[in-house]
Amino acid sequence: MKRAAALAAAVLLLFATVGTPAASGYLADTTVPSAGGCPVLDRWNISVSQPLNRRWSTSLPLAPVTILTVAAENTSAQLTEIENTISAAFSAWMGVTGTTFNSATYPSVIGPLSRVNTANACSNDAGTNIDGLNTICFNQSSMGFTTGVLAFTRVITANAPDASVGSGPPAVFAGQILDADTLFRNDGQSTFATPGALATTQGQGAYDLESLLAHELGHWFGLDHSAVWRAMMFPYAPPPGQYLGTRPSGSSPDAPLSDDDRAGIRMLYPDPNDALDVGAIRGRVVPANPFALATTPQPYTGGSVTGIYGAHVVAVDASSGSVVAGSFAGRSCNSTGTTAMPQFDGSYDIERLPVGHEYWIYAEPLVGLAQPGDFSGALGNICSTASGSSCKTPAIDTNFDPRAMPAGP
Amino acid sequence: MEKRVRRQCIRAVAKLAVIMSVSAAAASATTIERMSLVELAQAAPVIVRARCSGNAVARDAGEIWTLSSFDVEETWRGEAPRRIEVRLLGGSLGEVTSHVSGVPRFRAGEDVVLFLEPTKRGDYSVVSWEQGTFRVRGHASGAEAFVTQDTASFATFNPATRQFRAVGIRNMPLEDFRARVKAALQGAAGRQP
Repeated sequence: MKRAAALAAAVLLLFATVGTPAASGYLADTTVPSAGGCPVLDRWNISVSQPLNRRWSTSLPLAPVTILTVAAENTSAQLTEIENTISAAFSAWMGVTGTTFNSATYPSVIGPLSRVNTANACSNDAGTNIDGLNTICFNQSSMGFTTGVLAFTRVITANAPDASVGSGPPAVFAGQILDADTLFRNDGQSTFATPGALATTQGQGAYDLESLLAHELGHWFGLDHSAVWRAMMFPYAPPPGQYLGTRPSGSSPDAPLSDDDRAGIRMLYPDPNDALDVGAIRGRVVPANPFALATTPQPYTGGSVTGIYGAHVVAVDASSGSVVAGSFAGRSCNSTGTTAMPQFDGSYDIERLPVGHEYWIYAEPLVGLAQPGDFSGALGNICSTASGSSCKTPAIDTNFDPRAMPAGP
Repeated sequence: MEKRVRRQCIRAVAKLAVIMSVSAAAASATTIERMSLVELAQAAPVIVRARCSGNAVARDAGEIWTLSSFDVEETWRGEAPRRIEVRLLGGSLGEVTSHVSGVPRFRAGEDVVLFLEPTKRGDYSVVSWEQGTFRVRGHASGAEAFVTQDTASFATFNPATRQFRAVGIRNMPLEDFRARVKAALQGAAGRQP
């Protein structure tokens, strides 16, 4: 049995093949262009000056108090303490080297953090909440909250060039992020503490504000959730009263992030001068039996399923054993003009890996427990772009045996 | 024999792997409190098993919403009309798309169990979003229905320990799940999921 278990683990080790780039990527959000074509990654237009404005609302819940600080309530010191926490969360992402959001290399990409004193800067529940001003709000009672939801980030993207919101300039490309707001609920269901306050007795029942902010800001940049344990974009935050990572420092502002987080933002905003993080591993997850998919229904007329639709692929640094990056496998998309043809070929694509390292690639099929579209909007829209109206994403195939494959050129 | 054992092991490891990996994309847990089945059941005044009949996107209160319609097949808690509408943040409307991670999406024809709470618009929302969403799917053999919580695959793979951890309802027979919910509602729940 022990030997069999070892065998089982071994066959799940899938060496990478390097081939034609697939359209898949990290768990980043995508938008389907209204004009048709393949889904595109959501991202800011960094070709303009200070594409990402940012502000926060100084309106804080007082009854009940939900933001815990060391400084006394209703003081300028309290606002400074909160603002420092917000800045530290931003600095984590702006400290990643190899991206155009790196504040040292590209200091003017992100605008200064400003304040607004209105409570409804993120959501007024009357007019439009989509104003092109990127705001963090702590005093929110949006109808979007349900029991158990502490905070959420709303990211607005353009479906086509020239789309615009509020006073912002028109979009240049589909998928361009036009507005991002983070809303924290104010009804006292939960409390949030700055790093200093988390260490106090009162802070033991509160969530770490810096962690939540850093995670939510990852959504601002266009990242979805990560499957890598301890990644900042991993869905679960530390329990109340706890912080499990490394706090940022002046020399390591991105210390709270994982390599997966760093690879994700590098993929979205690669620094053209970066010569280190330029590695990519691409390949396909396929059944060991090439005939296993022969009976899979066609996803659309003329289409076929030629790979495992729905598998998680993780790159692990062979020397350190640390998880470097994760991605989803399942499909690629070829676009000709406004016509997109999804290919359910098991493709995966892990980009922006440091070169000079060896990696193990783990491929883990879903085996029928769920559909990829259940977990990521990025994977659920693929068929909507196909020519014709009959495209249907294939079901997970449960009748296959993954096996090891040799590395290919 | 060894081949059979090997196949079983492969499937076992693969299943664990799913837990580790997939659902990280599913729920936004920095924004959602982890809730047990008992807590979910107690927080939801309405629990239904329903089938999605379609989706619409609309703007209301300054937000873009996806409104999913469901035909209620069974009511497990509270009272619900035969047809309900569930309101959730996000969707594509006109020239823009609103993305909110952690919000479940439904396809027409999909069979689900939803833990619901009413909104002030008279429709419903899902308690704790993906955490209160359970997909019902037939087993590969077609013999029995199984339930998987959207957030059930939250556990992940720790490369240091080579171990997997999972929390939630995952591939549970529907009748077992029904019994668990009933027990939770009666305040006599057994183990936490």
